[in-house]
Amino acid sequence: MPKKNLSPRLRDQTLQEQDGLQRKNPPRSSSQLRRGHFFRALFLRPVSPDSSPRQKDNRGILAFNTLLVVLLLSGLMWFGFSRLQYTFMWENVWIYRVNLFNGFLMTILISLGSLLLSTLLGVFFGLAQRSRIHILRIFSRFYIEIIRGTPLLVQILIFFYVIANALGVENRYTAGIVVMSIFSGAYLAEIIRAGVDSVGTTQIETAKAIGLTKPQTYRFVIFPQVITRVLPPLAGQFASLIKDSSLLSIIAIKEFTMAAREVNANTFSTLESYIPLAAGYLLLTIPISFLTKRLEKRFSYET
Amino acid sequence: MRLEIANLTKRFGDNVVLDSVNLTLDGINSLVLIGPSGGGKTTLLRILAGLEHMNDGNIIINSHCLNCPEQELLEYRRHIGMVYQAYNLFPHLTALQNIVLPLTQVHGMEKRAAEEHACSLLERFHLAEHAHKHPAALSGGQQQRIAICRAVAIKPEYLLLDEPTSALDPEYTSEVLDLIEELHEEGMELVLVTHEMGFAHNAADYVLFIADGGIAAHGTPKDIFETRENPRVNRFLDKVLKYTS
Repeated sequence: MPKKNLSPRLRDQTLQEQDGLQRKNPPRSSSQLRRGHFFRALFLRPVSPDSSPRQKDNRGILAFNTLLVVLLLSGLMWFGFSRLQYTFMWENVWIYRVNLFNGFLMTILISLGSLLLSTLLGVFFGLAQRSRIHILRIFSRFYIEIIRGTPLLVQILIFFYVIANALGVENRYTAGIVVMSIFSGAYLAEIIRAGVDSVGTTQIETAKAIGLTKPQTYRFVIFPQVITRVLPPLAGQFASLIKDSSLLSIIAIKEFTMAAREVNANTFSTLESYIPLAAGYLLLTIPISFLTKRLEKRFSYET
Repeated sequence: MRLEIANLTKRFGDNVVLDSVNLTLDGINSLVLIGPSGGGKTTLLRILAGLEHMNDGNIIINSHCLNCPEQELLEYRRHIGMVYQAYNLFPHLTALQNIVLPLTQVHGMEKRAAEEHACSLLERFHLAEHAHKHPAALSGGQQQRIAICRAVAIKPEYLLLDEPTSALDPEYTSEVLDLIEELHEEGMELVLVTHEMGFAHNAADYVLFIADGGIAAHGTPKDIFETRENPRVNRFLDKVLKYTS
C-alpha cells in the first residue's frame, strides 16, 4: 500500500495498525513486552511513510556498520587461524597461478554457456506446464521431478558416460555445459512456472476481454510482472549453477575447483589452494547479486 | 440494441447454470440484469461478452452471432467494452498506459494519438491528475472509473459491466454510477449486472430477473420495481431493499 498518498491522519492510523503486534495482545507482563520489542528490533524494520520502503540508509551509519561487520568477521577468522598455528606458504601456490587462472576461465566459460542454455530450457519447460499438448505437460513434470530429485553427480555421470556416449558427443566441455543446463533448467522452470501462476486469473480474463491475443497477453501482461517476482530466486539459482559446475571435475573437466585440487595435491598447501578458490567464486557470484538487484529496481512497480 | 436468445444452455460440469433460456428484445438502450447470487447473471453476461462458450442454443446480439469459434469471438470482443467487479487494471501499468495498451496493441493506433485520446478521456471524467499513477495508488472508485474509461476508449458498440460497484466501499459507489449514467445519457448502450436497485430502476430500459438457471421474470423497470406482480421477484426485492429507506 502506498503510504505517501495518505493524509497525515490516515497515515497515523495505518501506522497504528502496523503496530498490531502490540495492540492485539493486551495482557502482557514487562518481560513479554521486552521480548516483543526485541523481536521487532530483530526482524521488523518499520516502513517509513515518507519514502519508499527501500530508502537509503544514512551514509555515515552505513559505512560504520559495514566496517564493523567486516572487522567482526575478520576477527573471527584471525582467531581461528591463530589457534591453528598454520604457516601460510603462498609462494608454493603462486607457481601454479596460471593453472588456477585457466581453471577460473573454464568455470566462467561453462557457467556462461549453461546460464544461457538453462534459461532457455527453464522458460520453455516453465511455460510447457501450461501447454495444450498433454504429453508435453507430462514430459515437463517428469523432467522437473527427476532432475530435482536426483544428485547432480549421478546426472553428470549418466549423461556423460551413457547419453553423450550413445549420441556420439565427444567433447566433454559441450557435454558439461549441456548437463549443467539440464540440471539448472529444471529449477528455473519451477521458478518461472510459479511466477506465471502468481499473476491473477482476473488479469488474464481482462486481457482476454480487451481483445489481446495469447502471445500479447504474455508479452504485455504476464512477463512484465513475472520478471520482478522471479529475479531474486533466479539470482540464487544462477549463483548455485556457478558453484555446482565444480562437480564437472569428475568427468575430467579442468575447471576452477579441479585446478585448486591439483594445486593442493602438488603443494600440500591446502588453505592456500582453496582460499583463492572461494575468492574466485565470490568474484563471479557477487556481480550476479548486484545485477539482479539493479534489474529488480528497474522493473519494480508499487503494488 | 437487438438481442435474441434462443435455447441458451450453459453447464459447468454437471452444474446447469443456464437452462434453455429464450428471449427476444429490440430497441433497448440499457439492459439491467438483477437477481440472487449464483443465479446465472454473471454467466449470461460473460457469454454476451464473448468470454464463455455456450453449450447449446444461440445468441444474436445486433448482428453478431455468438455461437462461433474462439477466433471470431476474439474479433467480437475487440468491439465491445467489458468492466469487471474489480482488479480490471493491470498493476504494472499506469492509468494512462492501461488505457493506451488496447488502443495501440489491439486497434493499431499510433502511440501519440492513443495517448492524446486517453488523456482527453481522463480529462473529461476528471481523472487527469491520476494519469501517471499505478492502480495501487488509486482508490477503488478511481480504479473502476479508469477501467470504464479504458472500455469506452475503443469506442465500443456497447458496454458490458459486471457488478462494477460491488467490490467498492459504499462512498465510492456513486462516483462510478454517475459515470455510467453519464455515458448512458450520451447514448452508450449498456448491459449491466448490478445489486444497486435504485440505479437499476432509474437507468434501465429493461430489466431481467435471473434466478434458478433462467430468466425468472423480465419487464420494464416499472413492471419489476413498481407493479411487482411476480412473487419470486418480490421476495428478492424485499430482502435486498430491507434496510434502504
